[in-house]
Amino acid sequence: MPDNSKRCVVTGLGLVCALGDDAASCAASAFSGKSGIKDVASFDTANCYSHKGAEVDLSDSELCKDKYDRTTLLCIKAAGEAIADSGLDLEKEDRTRAGVILGTCIGGAASIDKYYQDSYEGKPADKEDILRMPASAIANNVASHFGLDGITANIVNACAAGTMSLAGACDMIRAGKADLFVAGGCDSFSSLAYAGFHALHALSEKECSPFNHSDGITIGEGSGVLIIESYEHAVARGAKIYCDILGAGVSSDAYHITAPRPDGEGQMSAIRRAVRNSGVSFEDIDYINAHGTGTSKNDEAEFLSLRTLFGCREDLSVSSTKSMTGHCLGAAGSIEAVLTIEAMNRGEVPPTAGYEGEDLDVLKEKAGGIDFIANEKKAKDAKVCMSNSFAFGGNNASIVFAKEPHDIRDERNTDPIYITGIGEVTGTKADGASDYRADLSPDRFKEHGVKSAFLRKLDRFSDLALLSGIVALEDAGITVDDTNADDIGIVIGTSDGPITEIVNFQKLVIEKGIENGSAFMFPNTVYNAAGGYLSIFTGIKGYNITIANGFQAGLQSVMYACEAIRRGDENVMLANGTDELTDIEAELYKNAGYIDGGVVLGEGSVTVILESSKAAEARGSRKYAEVAGYAIARHSASYAVTEGTGEALVRAINEAISDAGITASDIKTVYGFANGSKPLDDILNGAVSEIWKDGIEIRNVRAGTGEARAASATLSLACAAHDMEKSSGNYSLAVSFGAGGIYSAVVLKKA
Amino acid sequence: MNEEIAEKIKKMLVERLRIPEDELNYDSELFGDDIGLDSIDSIEIIVGLEDLFGVDMSGSGKENFQSIRTLTQYVEEHKED
Repeated sequence: MPDNSKRCVVTGLGLVCALGDDAASCAASAFSGKSGIKDVASFDTANCYSHKGAEVDLSDSELCKDKYDRTTLLCIKAAGEAIADSGLDLEKEDRTRAGVILGTCIGGAASIDKYYQDSYEGKPADKEDILRMPASAIANNVASHFGLDGITANIVNACAAGTMSLAGACDMIRAGKADLFVAGGCDSFSSLAYAGFHALHALSEKECSPFNHSDGITIGEGSGVLIIESYEHAVARGAKIYCDILGAGVSSDAYHITAPRPDGEGQMSAIRRAVRNSGVSFEDIDYINAHGTGTSKNDEAEFLSLRTLFGCREDLSVSSTKSMTGHCLGAAGSIEAVLTIEAMNRGEVPPTAGYEGEDLDVLKEKAGGIDFIANEKKAKDAKVCMSNSFAFGGNNASIVFAKEPHDIRDERNTDPIYITGIGEVTGTKADGASDYRADLSPDRFKEHGVKSAFLRKLDRFSDLALLSGIVALEDAGITVDDTNADDIGIVIGTSDGPITEIVNFQKLVIEKGIENGSAFMFPNTVYNAAGGYLSIFTGIKGYNITIANGFQAGLQSVMYACEAIRRGDENVMLANGTDELTDIEAELYKNAGYIDGGVVLGEGSVTVILESSKAAEARGSRKYAEVAGYAIARHSASYAVTEGTGEALVRAINEAISDAGITASDIKTVYGFANGSKPLDDILNGAVSEIWKDGIEIRNVRAGTGEARAASATLSLACAAHDMEKSSGNYSLAVSFGAGGIYSAVVLKKA
Repeated sequence: MNEEIAEKIKKMLVERLRIPEDELNYDSELFGDDIGLDSIDSIEIIVGLEDLFGVDMSGSGKENFQSIRTLTQYVEEHKED
């Protein structure tokens, strides 16, 4: 019998996309081969070479009466359906154990468009639009809407984000950090994505035609949401169980910022990892919902990957439902997960739509024996199914669902994890300047072997992450080569992502039209471009995710990185916090009213190298400190509010201390997050004096570098690690906060 | 070679593709190791030249994209005054 304690099960489904307003109507269309692709209605595409899109025909107010960015609204619609479908009674749940993990590519692009369109037309700026811009806000909005106080995260790995978020939810449940998640992905239709793919000539002129004409994608919008629970939790409340999520694999191409590796190596690595982690064999997979975007580069690489790994298995069915839903970017993986689960449920697999006449003969040849389902669904009792998602930045994700329980690979260990390298890039305040900015002159990169031919492609956000990542690897004495590339991974944490490049791209589109987007800038507008460039430059091919979740994302990244090591996925992880500061961000923060309270902004990137004890011993690594425990806690509040959320900080600190197996009195120093904003400083002081009644030493790292958001959060840990190496104390604690009442705490132990 | 056209192309490349100006001369190999342009950059060059001179280079041979000098020659030959 499978070990029930490791099982993650799906108990609720929610879906909204061009095919329909709920899971049942979407599935009815998808399984009958009916496409939701029509002419674009959201904006004028008259001057574009393509006019096709897969939009949801519900207005913002029809999705939800509350006011949020459309990406959030789509998710609330799907999440509401999933929660109702699961039969969860939230009144009876321990809400601190119920979290929200969402994938998104473009985040609040609709609100960015509106804000700068207003500005272009001379209308007054709406402060609310600023708060709706970052991807960081989405999971928080959804959690607050449903009153959930568990871990939140926005996984922002472009078109692989929806699949990665499902994997992330299972990881956190198996690590004991939550009982259940509202997990999935969401993205709205946006001029940003449309103009970007148009500029890259990656849009299909007609309806997209995956694994067929492969002449480009059709962009869609929507949200797919799964309720994922620990088996025990589901059984205890008598929930119906759709399926198990067995395991997932995440990898990085280390090849190109938009194109997949033609040899499919990165895709195959993710698929292999998913199969291995699921405890199944390749022969067990009955159906694959392919990434199948409809670009020639993707489809060719994916054909090759599947044929290489699965041979010519005639009993393996494959289809791309993007032929009907369009490519919903960060929502794609989650939408395809719902349709894949529906396939197991119905005993039939959905088709790829749009084949005509001779297309079928060509397909037969390309498929090499694999059963690519064309035009019409097929009756099949698919028991083990896979869904694949591949993204810009070279990020790949694969996940396995099963109708029946299986013993999964479980090598989770609690061996010590050490910080063995640190890279810090912080800003300085020039005479007369009002904030801290980093020196990113090309010479700083040349010192580390970064040529200008590579560097010129990067935006400021990517520059920052690349530099701190390289410095950290050098500090740890790690050289990436063929022997270790797969054993090293990256987690980037950010509050605001590459907002400057996004805004500049959006302004260009507003001023010059959707048909005049910049092919050069567009790849940098995805939040995971920085992690992609870091992998391309260094050659790192392992786990690679980017988390956008307020300032504390720079500590949350450390937890996710540690979990990747604990699962045995990687030996070494780069955990990072990055946020940039340009005049664009300075203006947005000013207009949002954030810096009125005495906050001085900064920018930077800090990377810590985390290493398993086995790897550190083998290399004889210098150990700054051991990561002994960590926790995240939330108190639902709107994205702009911090007051009244202090109890969550107390909870995060107490849980991290307990995770480390110590008591509060063992902690010598707290590395805090005070930044001059009185409500925030009061929360820190209040929590500290509640836990340490006799007082404790508090260090604030922002004093000389400004509020560099996620970078400051990782910096607090880096400073703690530096001090631990020399200090007499045995334990210290780094804490951080994020907008909307989320707090994270990491305990370090003297190594 | 028309220096005026070449200078405009150089400025466009520096602005649109963030190529360091001091590393770019008329004979720099654009798609080689030095400047390191790729397929995305070529799309941007086509759009830039269309904007500047109304010359459509889409579908034209690789050899025309070698350097600022070859781009200039192409523009000179295809520009309608």
